[in-house]
Amino acid sequence: MNWYFRSLGARRIVEFVLLVVFVIFFLGPLLNLLILAVSGKWQYPAALPQSWSLEWWQFVLSQDDVLESISLSFLIATVVTVCSIIVCIPAAYAFARIAFPLSRWFLFSFLLTHAFPKMGLYVSIAVLFYKFGLMNTFLGIVLIHMVNTLMFMTWIPSSAFRSVHRAQEESARDAGAGPLRVFWKITLPMAFPGIMVASIFTFLSSLDEAQGTLLVGIPDFKTMPIIMYSIIADYPNTTGAVFSVILTLPTVILLVAARRFVSADVLAGGFQVK
Amino acid sequence: MSTSGKRGMLGLALVIPSFLILFVVVILPILYAVRESLIDQNSGEFGLGNYIRLFTDPAMRKNITYTLNVTIVSTLLSLLISYSMAVYLRFSTSWMARWINRLYFVPMFVPGVIATYGLITLYGNHGWMVRLLLLLGIDSFPKIIYDYNGLVLANLWFNIPFATMLLSSALAAVPNSVIESARDAGANIWQLFFRFILPLSYKTMWVAITFIFMGIIGSFTAPFLIGANSPQVLGVAMQQVFSNYQETHTSSAMAVFMFLLCSVMGYFYIRTMGKDADV
Repeated sequence: MNWYFRSLGARRIVEFVLLVVFVIFFLGPLLNLLILAVSGKWQYPAALPQSWSLEWWQFVLSQDDVLESISLSFLIATVVTVCSIIVCIPAAYAFARIAFPLSRWFLFSFLLTHAFPKMGLYVSIAVLFYKFGLMNTFLGIVLIHMVNTLMFMTWIPSSAFRSVHRAQEESARDAGAGPLRVFWKITLPMAFPGIMVASIFTFLSSLDEAQGTLLVGIPDFKTMPIIMYSIIADYPNTTGAVFSVILTLPTVILLVAARRFVSADVLAGGFQVK
Repeated sequence: MSTSGKRGMLGLALVIPSFLILFVVVILPILYAVRESLIDQNSGEFGLGNYIRLFTDPAMRKNITYTLNVTIVSTLLSLLISYSMAVYLRFSTSWMARWINRLYFVPMFVPGVIATYGLITLYGNHGWMVRLLLLLGIDSFPKIIYDYNGLVLANLWFNIPFATMLLSSALAAVPNSVIESARDAGANIWQLFFRFILPLSYKTMWVAITFIFMGIIGSFTAPFLIGANSPQVLGVAMQQVFSNYQETHTSSAMAVFMFLLCSVMGYFYIRTMGKDADV
């Protein structure tokens, strides 16, 4: 039995090293920002800050444009999410349940949002928006954010709808429920995790979007990521770190709140169109 | 009209609103960019002049090979690491695997600018990593930020979680009985992987490759903040050509070129997905 324990020990050590590498690689950058955000003085070559302080938080939160950017970003992200849900969920349902002409052609056309380089796409969109008078408008920003969300919002819920068993819908129909009632009472609740995950993706991607907003929203729409770019350029490291923590906070809260719904299967299903 | 015809109409009606938005914000701009790219930047004539210059200008050629190099190396490395992680997560029951399982998809949701900023402060000159290694008595550190290494590193950070998620879900569908009976028949871990796990998750692998490739090749934020000044990846070069030199036609040609590369990947993706539908 001795060899068994020895091999088990070696395995444990390898696993532990893997865990450490994983944590350092993926969480190290975030942890570094977190420490930096609460540091007062942190000069090279100290491994930890010489003094801790929250003074930069006061500075960041006392800036008017920072507070405005936070509320603006949340407003935009909410509108984008609601619009995406209204527009995309019916399409997702149709792709999953209804046979109609060219359906696969339509379904795959959403891949275009990810196939054309974003920067090039935004530039062309800006030209079009200029012609339509959509530059520097709220509608323009919402539309350009939806470029990133259309595919998630269609594919992930579509896969969720598809995984609802038809038998369940049919038995409800047999029991005398109308089609709309079946949708509300059976199909929608069962596809809810997929819709939820797609909505979180949408909300966060809108919160995160910088390049398109910068091109189309200039000069009036300063969202959080845009303020972040100027902070990285103009202020000391600590300010950027503080703002990073503020900008990441909604992500963490949303993920913790929706932990039940976020699973590899729900997400992965959305990228494997059937 | 027949019932199925009516259903078909209903289906179309449900899809049209989202397709209209797609048409306005994606398809029209792409068509516009294609047209722009065909107008010669210098002479203003219709033709392939911009594309010819793209492949003959030495600096641009360097950018193209550099971009392809970064993209392919990052894609393959991400895939390799994600596969190992997914296999490990599938078959390990230790508490460490459970923790990794809980944490690995966090990077997918972290805003790109923040992550890039974190990578710069961690690996940069006088960054935290250098300081920590100094504690261990290591005082030589390779140049990562503003270099090829940093770009690949950032790409790995952004793409491994996504690919691992896709692959774990595919591996979860591999029945335990298949693995056990193969083990009983004396298959070692490599045979197990190449005979059973790989064929059963082959399709998902293509999905992962497609999306990683598309995500990296046109990326802007990370290479803009982390990359070197020369050579540049095409995403950054395109932005500079557009905003510093105002050469709309040249930058459109660059965008369309990247789009064509992505379309090749997209074609294989759709074909792989299409096969499934026929079965």
